[in-house]
Amino acid sequence: MNCFQKFIIASIIISGLFSQDFEFRNIPIQENGRIKPLDSFARNHLLAMYSKRSLKTPAFPDNIGGKKMLAIDWLLDIVIYPNDADKYKVFNIRNPEVVGSLGLKWDPKHLYNRTDVLIGLQHQLDYIGKIQSTLADELTSFDRDMLNLYSNVIHFQDLCFSFSCLLPVIKIENENLASLMGIGQGTMVSYFEIMKQADTINPLIEKLVEKNKNDQNELDLELSRILHELNEINQDKFAHLLKIIPPEDNNSEKKWVAPWELMDGWKIGEKQITFLNILSNYIRAKLNGDIISEQNALIEYKEALIPYQNLFKTKNLKLETWYNSANLFVKSTLFYILAFFLLTISWMVKPALLRKIAFSSFIIGIAFHFYGIYLRIIIMQRPPVSTLYESIIFVGLIGVICATFLERNRKDGIGLFAGSICGIVLHYIGFGYANDGDTLGMLVAVLNSNFWLATHVTTITTGYGTSLFAGVLGHIYLLQSIRNPSNQTYLKTINSNMFGATLFALFFTLFGTILGGIWADQSWGRFWGWDPKENGALLIVMWQIMMIHMRISGYVKPLGFALGMVINNIVVVLAWFGVNLLNVGLHSYGFASGIARNLTLFILFELIFGLSAYYWSRSKRNKYNIMQT
Amino acid sequence: MTTINYFFKILKTPKLFVFTIIWMMVLVVLGTLAQKNMGLFAVQEKYFSSWIFWFWHIPLPGARPTMIFMLINLSFFFFNKSLWKINKMGIIILHLGGILLLIGGGLTAIFSSEGNMVINEGEESNYVEDYHYMELAIINTTSNDFDTYTIFDYNVLKRNNILIHENFRFEIEILHYIKNCKPIRRSTPSEVQYRGMMKNFMLSDLAPLKEENLNRPGIIFNLLNTGSRVDGIYGLFLGQTVPQKITVEDQDYIIVFRKKRTYLPFSIELIDFKKVMHSGTDIPKSYSSEINLIESDIKKHLLIKMNEPLRHKGYTFYQSSFIEGPDGETTVLAAVKNYGQLFPYISSIIMCIGLLIHLVIKLPKLIKSRNV
Repeated sequence: MNCFQKFIIASIIISGLFSQDFEFRNIPIQENGRIKPLDSFARNHLLAMYSKRSLKTPAFPDNIGGKKMLAIDWLLDIVIYPNDADKYKVFNIRNPEVVGSLGLKWDPKHLYNRTDVLIGLQHQLDYIGKIQSTLADELTSFDRDMLNLYSNVIHFQDLCFSFSCLLPVIKIENENLASLMGIGQGTMVSYFEIMKQADTINPLIEKLVEKNKNDQNELDLELSRILHELNEINQDKFAHLLKIIPPEDNNSEKKWVAPWELMDGWKIGEKQITFLNILSNYIRAKLNGDIISEQNALIEYKEALIPYQNLFKTKNLKLETWYNSANLFVKSTLFYILAFFLLTISWMVKPALLRKIAFSSFIIGIAFHFYGIYLRIIIMQRPPVSTLYESIIFVGLIGVICATFLERNRKDGIGLFAGSICGIVLHYIGFGYANDGDTLGMLVAVLNSNFWLATHVTTITTGYGTSLFAGVLGHIYLLQSIRNPSNQTYLKTINSNMFGATLFALFFTLFGTILGGIWADQSWGRFWGWDPKENGALLIVMWQIMMIHMRISGYVKPLGFALGMVINNIVVVLAWFGVNLLNVGLHSYGFASGIARNLTLFILFELIFGLSAYYWSRSKRNKYNIMQT
Repeated sequence: MTTINYFFKILKTPKLFVFTIIWMMVLVVLGTLAQKNMGLFAVQEKYFSSWIFWFWHIPLPGARPTMIFMLINLSFFFFNKSLWKINKMGIIILHLGGILLLIGGGLTAIFSSEGNMVINEGEESNYVEDYHYMELAIINTTSNDFDTYTIFDYNVLKRNNILIHENFRFEIEILHYIKNCKPIRRSTPSEVQYRGMMKNFMLSDLAPLKEENLNRPGIIFNLLNTGSRVDGIYGLFLGQTVPQKITVEDQDYIIVFRKKRTYLPFSIELIDFKKVMHSGTDIPKSYSSEINLIESDIKKHLLIKMNEPLRHKGYTFYQSSFIEGPDGETTVLAAVKNYGQLFPYISSIIMCIGLLIHLVIKLPKLIKSRNV
């Protein structure tokens, strides 16, 4: 390799690093009704099998190096070397019963490879067949884990052999045949490349069939060997998961297909052949370690995608892979945690300076948080909130924004305290939801309306956020009145902040609920139907109206109002998550297991905290009043 | 006089409102939890559109009187002199919005009607079927030129009622009204008094299902005074394919048990129903019905889509559902006539303006800093 080549390779690598050029992971694929980059696809599949979005040792062999392996690198490796895929232990089986019934050895890391699982499952096929036809509610957790594992291993096999028709594994040794096919003797060709030459090879095969076995020459022997190998490879044609070849005409309703779906040669189009050719070149380059051809193949792929820009934007594919790798919400959480710690330290030393640093850290956290939501809007081309996961992230954002305003006004850390707790807790819940699966899914017909998602859903979610913020202020008021009941002026300001936040929250919950009614009126002809989610939203509104009127009519003092706002959190959370537990009505889209336990814990905590803090601070204030007199 | 004054004084206090809204919250919680085991319609009937409901043996006010009480409370508060001050402008506007919202709710509850319009591809229809209520139609088909319809509404279809009308000479005695029935073939020959479908089938009584629309109502009645062997016990159920025909004194009748129909002054023809999925999945993306609106023989070509209804002559038609059968597709449109439809729109705007004004007046005081 001379200096010039080295220079070119180095510059390609550097430009690859910095220019965000089109990469393998940016290649579009259709999954669950959406065109997404391969990167997201690989992450979703790895998440389903391995419960994480990237591999860590010991799930991949040591010789690969590093402590972490990206999902896309794993996918690329198993499609190029399908027969070596056993080196990845990606099946995460945590249920000891399942491990036992598959006859596997218990692994403390819960990780097993494809062959382990396949051998184990062989004896369970009858049982799996039986539970596949059982109703979902009658399955035990063992059954569900078995079914999951079964579908995961099938998906794994499917992925592995997605490109086996493009892998150059058939050697053409006969000189005549090679020259007929227009390639050099000894070249390795793929199933697809032979299929393309069908016109040349088919007459030879016809002759072969007619010939007597004793008359066969060298060419014939070679041909029958090739036929045999083709037959072997043809066993993989079940692989339909990797739908990366776009339809011939760029119609958005047409399905994308996997390479194997095109191999019978009937319905393949010119553009689709181009894609397969480029992919073949890419794979060959990858196998030979030829970085220049690899880059060229990707450039060609990008150009081949140009006619399809009405289906997706290449720019957005790149944006999505960047969003996947950037982990913006994790970064945002880290900054909120940093802000929280700096704030607590500031109560002990250097209050003014540390509080300012904490505030800037908090603002950086918000910036990441906001940018993450903004990117999701761009990628999905729809308003910020349309799934339960998105509502959690958005409510967190509303909470921290409210906190920023409060902090700017008070400049004493209360806003920071409330805001960082809001941000950290909601991000944490959000991570739990993100681990359930793809967070960028498509919506069913009723919800598929950008106008109403933007107005009703965004408003009501903002209402949740502001209500929770008012609730957090209620907590602070209770804590403060226990800590220092003598500082009445301080308590008074928190009290009026809390009341302001409640009015603010009422504005959004009321308006959001009515907008929901108007959406229902526009779409189904009824303003109000007493559906559980509607009732939940109505309960929040009524609770807030009740607290405000109790305060006006003197039934509660500020302390009671603070308790009411703590309970307000319970009402919000019940309306937000609890109604999904009823599993009825139009809104029960976001059901997740384990939610009931967490909800009960939260409600118990809030009740115990609220009531005990309320009575404690009352007794403390009475003592204080007695001391005064 | 003083007692009346005292009474009025109580009627306008926010304290009263606090108790009313607490009761309303209790109702909403009960009505939501009940939906775990009861259908939405039954829950609405019990808690939300009822005057009273029974909790064990205690009669308790339903949502209707509660909301009326809330409206009275609000109105007394609203026409209270001490409220009308410039700094309370936000409050005044906000509560006006609340009053309008409750009035609109009342109008909707009293005057709105809704139902389904089920049309097969290539066919037309000019009536709306009620979601819940049934009717019994006696159709005289003797004349070649016209049919005479006599319709008995759901509220007379009760056990032991005897239906008489001047259009026919015989009497119909209702023996049994079944909310959810299942026709079962008789294993032994029936007793002599059974006629029609009941000769070979009996209607077994099933427990009504939670999903109201999955129930198959049925009715058993006794025909009297026909003066012939037509006298006897008949049965009909919803969706019966063979109609019940009888002949009394040379007059031919068809008796049909069907969903209550409301006829429209126009008809709708379904040209094509379309269902679009997100490409490569089973997730529906949109539904739409391509229709002709036919009015005095003039056809108008229109499209009804999810979230994009058709409005005509006070009726609104929404894409609600569809049925896929062997003979093509059938669209189900929800048809609604609602006189209170505009109220929520107006009142929500008014309430939001009121709350915003109030916030603008109050907020500077409420977010004051520690130093103030």
